Amino acid sequence: MSVEVGNTSRVFFREAICRAVGETLDAEPNAILMGQDVGAFGGSYKEFYGLFERFGPARVRDTPVAESAMVGLGVGAAAAGVRTLVSITYMDFVLLALDPLVNYAAKARFKTGGQIRVPMVVKVTAGAKGQGVAHSQSLESWLMSVPGLQVVAPSNVADAYGLMRSALQADGPVVYVDHKRLFPTSGLLSTLPHEVPFGLAVVSRPGRNATIVTHSYMVSVALAACEQLAVDGIDCEVIDLRSLAPLDLDTICTSVSKTGVLVTLEEGQVVCGVGAEIACRVQARLGPVKVSRLGAVPAPVSSNPVLEAASLPDAARVADAVRHLTTEGK
Amino acid sequence: MLYKLLLPGPIADLSEVRVLEWHGSPGTQFHAGDLVVELDTHKAVVEMRASSHIVLRKILIEPGDWQRVGEPLAIVSDSADEPLPERAEDLAQASATYEMV
Amino acid sequence: MIASNDTDALTAMLLARGLEAVLSRRADCGFQLLSGGQEAVAVGVACALLPKDQLLCSGRSIAPALARGLDPGSVMAELIGRSSGPCLGRGGRGHLSQPSSGFFGAHAVVAGNLSIAAGVALAMQARGDGNIAVCLFGDGACGAGALHETMNIAALWRLPLLLVCDNNLYSVSTPRAAALAPQRLSDLAAPFAIEARTVDGMDVRVVRAAALELATRVRRGAGPAFLECISRRFASHSTSARETRQPQELAADRELDPITRLENALLSEGALSAHAAQALREQVRARVKAACAFAEASPLPVPHEAFADVG
Repeated sequence: MSVEVGNTSRVFFREAICRAVGETLDAEPNAILMGQDVGAFGGSYKEFYGLFERFGPARVRDTPVAESAMVGLGVGAAAAGVRTLVSITYMDFVLLALDPLVNYAAKARFKTGGQIRVPMVVKVTAGAKGQGVAHSQSLESWLMSVPGLQVVAPSNVADAYGLMRSALQADGPVVYVDHKRLFPTSGLLSTLPHEVPFGLAVVSRPGRNATIVTHSYMVSVALAACEQLAVDGIDCEVIDLRSLAPLDLDTICTSVSKTGVLVTLEEGQVVCGVGAEIACRVQARLGPVKVSRLGAVPAPVSSNPVLEAASLPDAARVADAVRHLTTEGK
Repeated sequence: MLYKLLLPGPIADLSEVRVLEWHGSPGTQFHAGDLVVELDTHKAVVEMRASSHIVLRKILIEPGDWQRVGEPLAIVSDSADEPLPERAEDLAQASATYEMV
Repeated sequence: MIASNDTDALTAMLLARGLEAVLSRRADCGFQLLSGGQEAVAVGVACALLPKDQLLCSGRSIAPALARGLDPGSVMAELIGRSSGPCLGRGGRGHLSQPSSGFFGAHAVVAGNLSIAAGVALAMQARGDGNIAVCLFGDGACGAGALHETMNIAALWRLPLLLVCDNNLYSVSTPRAAALAPQRLSDLAAPFAIEARTVDGMDVRVVRAAALELATRVRRGAGPAFLECISRRFASHSTSARETRQPQELAADRELDPITRLENALLSEGALSAHAAQALREQVRARVKAACAFAEASPLPVPHEAFADVG
């Protein structure tokens, strides 16, 4: 298996994050990383491995289980000029931190007339992977509507690095959403420092017959669905959002103008989901198009493997939805 | 007899590894329990140890390089003088122990 | 920032009282939480601060902002929603803020500013600049998990944070005993081995001395401290909350007026003449009048500022 292609090397997903964070801690002498088990343990997903040894306990701080205070401290320190990265192991527990995140961080710049900025990143890990109803949620749609908050979600190694670099250079609060099922993956990463800008989606797979708009782990589910659909002669375009707030409507509309079919795919709930927002905005701009929104079934996600699998979108379900939309009326 | 040394699958949640360090070179003899190679995974380091006497004959995956679970990492043999084969894939699997640390 | 002498403390309390009195008579007063009766806490604490310390507070922010030295005109402008306020009229009383003056400011969520203040202290610790963060909050915040989480981390990390509980004995209409199990709120700090005091919040000299003592400890790196100041809230919780207390209780509270107390002490000690006291009051009246004139002459924000500086 190739190691280096040009100026790239193959790394684990966690290493892409670690590299971006390490580069920032290096560049900003006071910046602080905090969260549960981020120190000597190296991060719940080993995504901060080696940083404690490199930067020490004042810069890489283990916190008690107290997400509200953890994020509040991250907010206050950032507001006072020390950039912070607060790591929350499960996205489900960002709920405990909504007060400092939404009521302070997202409001600070506006409410103080621009005097206070909060350059803080809250990194959360979403997704269902056998851990049960309160350790499985994808809640990014709840956050993308908060004015003052940016929300990004990488689907691969290169974007995990590039989006984290950008997040750690932002001058306002960012929620960085990775996913449990992305950590076992690897990918090629340029050895040169670089950023992935917010508000720019990418076409992961060009196609003519339908547009699947998705993000995070569901990108690989969409791509797998495309393989199945290709057998039936249905050629799908997959758009990886990368950034939920700000949202790249232009790239989505360019695609849907071409294909006439929009399928939104997310692991979170469809009600008031990412897809609901996209479907509305696309149709406001382009007029009526064929739309289907895919997401988790409206139920908590059990740790039981049979029930978990039944709750979440998979390649077969996605392919079925696309087939239905592209063949109806023919 | 010659064997292929590999990390056998399927392993839940693990599809590929990166070689961290070989604790020997072609010709090195390993006894039962000796650490042969350390492999990096997305979660932990895997220590692969010999479960009986073997000789490391050819390293197929160098440190820093990647390999899929179930695919050969090296060729080992019972004795040092057995001639090397063309392909590692056809060899029997070496017995070894694996521990995540 | 005001100096720590008594005349300045008296002036600062008079300024807060005077500005709030004028504000509450205005038709455009809006929704306000007034500090009447609690001026000694704000002023006493402010006396202990150095220029680069940061003061944070709850929604009861007018006396703290003025005590910290913010210009009364710009404070009044912010309170009546004019764009020459420090927050450009967008924050109002609930989010009054001017970090460049050491007033990181108000946050209207009860207990919402506590972990923020700890974060400000963390930044100060990271930079090793010798400054401290001070957070004013009421008894109403003491039942919130945020206080306990903040004290735990602040103690563990020895953050340069001074927590000041302005205990005016009521959370809107709920008396302390109906809301909080501990009688003495400084006891809340004990499980975290945080140095704590309870003092008379109606005596600015007492508050000042305690605040100075604890601020010095905190500044030296001894870790956080907790100062409970027992005060009295002369008016109801807010301009829209109805009064629930009996006239006798309110009258008894007025007997403890911190302004009268300090003024009488200075007069009887010979530190201030009756004539000088009168002159002081007139100066304050003039400053309040000027503040109002400045605020009234300031423009309202334009509507498109509703989308400005969002993020």
